[in-house]
Amino acid sequence: MSKKAAPRLSVADLQHKYGDRPVIEGLTFTLAAGQAIALVGPNGAGKTTVLKCIVGAAEPAAGKILLDGVPIDERADAVRRDVATLLDDLDFFPDLTAAEHLDLLARAHGNASPEDLVDTTLHDIGLLPAADQLPGSLSSGQRRRLALATALVRPRKLMVLDEPEARLDTGGVQWLSERLVAEKKSGTAILFASHDPALVETVADSVVTLTPLP
Amino acid sequence: MSAADGPVEFDPADFGAIPSSRSLRQWMRTTRRQHADRSFWEIFEDVYLVLFTIAMAGATGGNVVRHLNSNASGCTSRTCGQLADWMPWIAVPLLLAITLRVLLAIGPVSASRATGFWLLATPVDRAALLRPAYRLVMGSVAVLGVVVGALVWALLGASLTDVLLAAVLIGATLICAAVATVWAQQSARRSRWALRVADVLLLAAVVPAVLLAFQPREDQSSNVVLSSRFVDEYGYPTLAFGQIQDDRSGAVPLLVFAVAVVVCAVLVFLVSRTLDRLGRISVIAGGELLAGLAGAASSLDISMLGDVIAGRHWRLKGRVHSRRGRGAQGAAIVHREFLRILRWPRRLAVAFALLVVPYAVHGAGFHILVPVAAAIAGFIAVRPMLDGLRTACRSTGLVRALGWDLRELRVIMAVVPGLFTIVWSACAFPAIGSASASFAVAAGIISGAVRQASARPPSYAGPLVTSPMGAIPPGLFSQPARGFDLLVLCLAPVLLNLSPLWVVVVPAVVLLAMLAVRPKTD
Repeated sequence: MSKKAAPRLSVADLQHKYGDRPVIEGLTFTLAAGQAIALVGPNGAGKTTVLKCIVGAAEPAAGKILLDGVPIDERADAVRRDVATLLDDLDFFPDLTAAEHLDLLARAHGNASPEDLVDTTLHDIGLLPAADQLPGSLSSGQRRRLALATALVRPRKLMVLDEPEARLDTGGVQWLSERLVAEKKSGTAILFASHDPALVETVADSVVTLTPLP
Repeated sequence: MSAADGPVEFDPADFGAIPSSRSLRQWMRTTRRQHADRSFWEIFEDVYLVLFTIAMAGATGGNVVRHLNSNASGCTSRTCGQLADWMPWIAVPLLLAITLRVLLAIGPVSASRATGFWLLATPVDRAALLRPAYRLVMGSVAVLGVVVGALVWALLGASLTDVLLAAVLIGATLICAAVATVWAQQSARRSRWALRVADVLLLAAVVPAVLLAFQPREDQSSNVVLSSRFVDEYGYPTLAFGQIQDDRSGAVPLLVFAVAVVVCAVLVFLVSRTLDRLGRISVIAGGELLAGLAGAASSLDISMLGDVIAGRHWRLKGRVHSRRGRGAQGAAIVHREFLRILRWPRRLAVAFALLVVPYAVHGAGFHILVPVAAAIAGFIAVRPMLDGLRTACRSTGLVRALGWDLRELRVIMAVVPGLFTIVWSACAFPAIGSASASFAVAAGIISGAVRQASARPPSYAGPLVTSPMGAIPPGLFSQPARGFDLLVLCLAPVLLNLSPLWVVVVPAVVLLAMLAVRPKTD
């Protein structure tokens, strides 16, 4: 009898509070490799908080979060290697160009000569003309594309994305949908929060709906 | 975006061994050098200028401290003795409390958001990435401890040996505190405990300060009495720094020094091996605070430094119990300001703790400086209570929404801080010594604090003037003096020893004029 593989991500009875006020209570779900789960719900429902708890940017009041069966800890090398995140905590070095940022990230993940990967990624996300621009001169949409590119120049088993469609134009959202579907096919698990029904419809295998707690 | 060429394929074979932190930093240095827009000589000139300024300031400051040391060491009055006995019990816990609080606020190990995202979120050895920041913190704390320790003991009139000993011991104590904060930074629970320890230390500093403030005083004229052994025929002190030597053997300080260095080195080394346990979020939070403070400092806006700290405090607090207002119109705003000030009780505690400053200066025998010290301490105590006014003055939309003229709003929002100023000045009255001077101090505090709180931010949208720092708005350099100018104006009759009538009339006119004028808005 074959042993059943642990889900890539497992969240059990997650709770989080701001002060005394609970924002998440008893949230449980599992995410397998090659699957995508969308978190949906109105503003203040706790979507971003769930993602922050999973990537270690917020401390849950209770509950378990396991990555490949092991409690997730942002300080562990394996977690930093396997989890690609895109939250609102992205900032840039003001004196490195868009291409240099991606180059740095790829090198930090062990790619000693990432030039081709960076060029292809920049082309893929439509940032090739802005490759030599410093972050201060990028538009907010271009910065968002660069942020998305960070997930593509590194290894990943799990992608955690907070409203990845934000600030993208229509073509960009279309590209994003196709890209995330391709990621799923290559075995990456995806957990994302979104307000875009079309993106959720195209990418997500299941949907977790969060509602604000009283 | 284009999907025509197909998406980038993820190939695990592209990714091999994780590079060392050193090699990544080297890569960044090389890459940045390609964008460098300043020559070596331009950087050298700046470094030279900074070193020259430090040397000049150090020489001047050192000379002043040397004279004050000889003055204090010659003081044989009872109050001087009391101050020398009590001050270590105030200074050491106070320094420790401040060090713990400040270091926990900034991390103490911190990194920019960019570093947090692009480097700390990668599998590169986190301890190695954070080690330079860690070393910088330890080095800065050591230097600060040594300088402050030496300064306090020198001002108390200690001998050179004691000054050096105190400097080393306080430097070592602060390093131990810094190491403890790095350990505390590794979990939220430890951080909370470290903050509680800081609060206890603050209380431990306040208790002897209050006891000192209420010690029986001698007649003012006998406060600074230089024994004939230490003065020349003109009455000027003749002692040079460290001339009073004790009989202690030189081996004791050397032993203390050696033990302190070894203990610190071991602790610093042990904790440096645990840096990989630091969470990315705690590291970035400190970096953001430092970036905000640096931005405020670069615009020479003292109030903005306070804004950054207050903003962080409220962000971390996140949620408070809502309280209903009372009254209507101006009374409602006054009541709301009262509730708002009560919402941060630690500030009130610090404000009252600052009362020890005029008493300490009085105890040290510098009677002429008591009103100045009281006014500056009172300014520091009262200014944070005017954060509401500052917010209003920087937001024309808010003033419009409240439906008041900004001049009227300024008066209304100054009511509660004004009442607090009266209470504070009344408490400082025994040290200040005269009712008219106390009034001048109170008027100076409130008029200065209101003027600083209602200052406009420097605007880079208007005309700019060239300076060594680049293009700056006119009046940028006068920004830090804003508020203190009225404070000095109110105290001028006291310092010039004018009659009590002038001591009351001048500050009263300044205060009324300040409240009558409408603050400028953008």
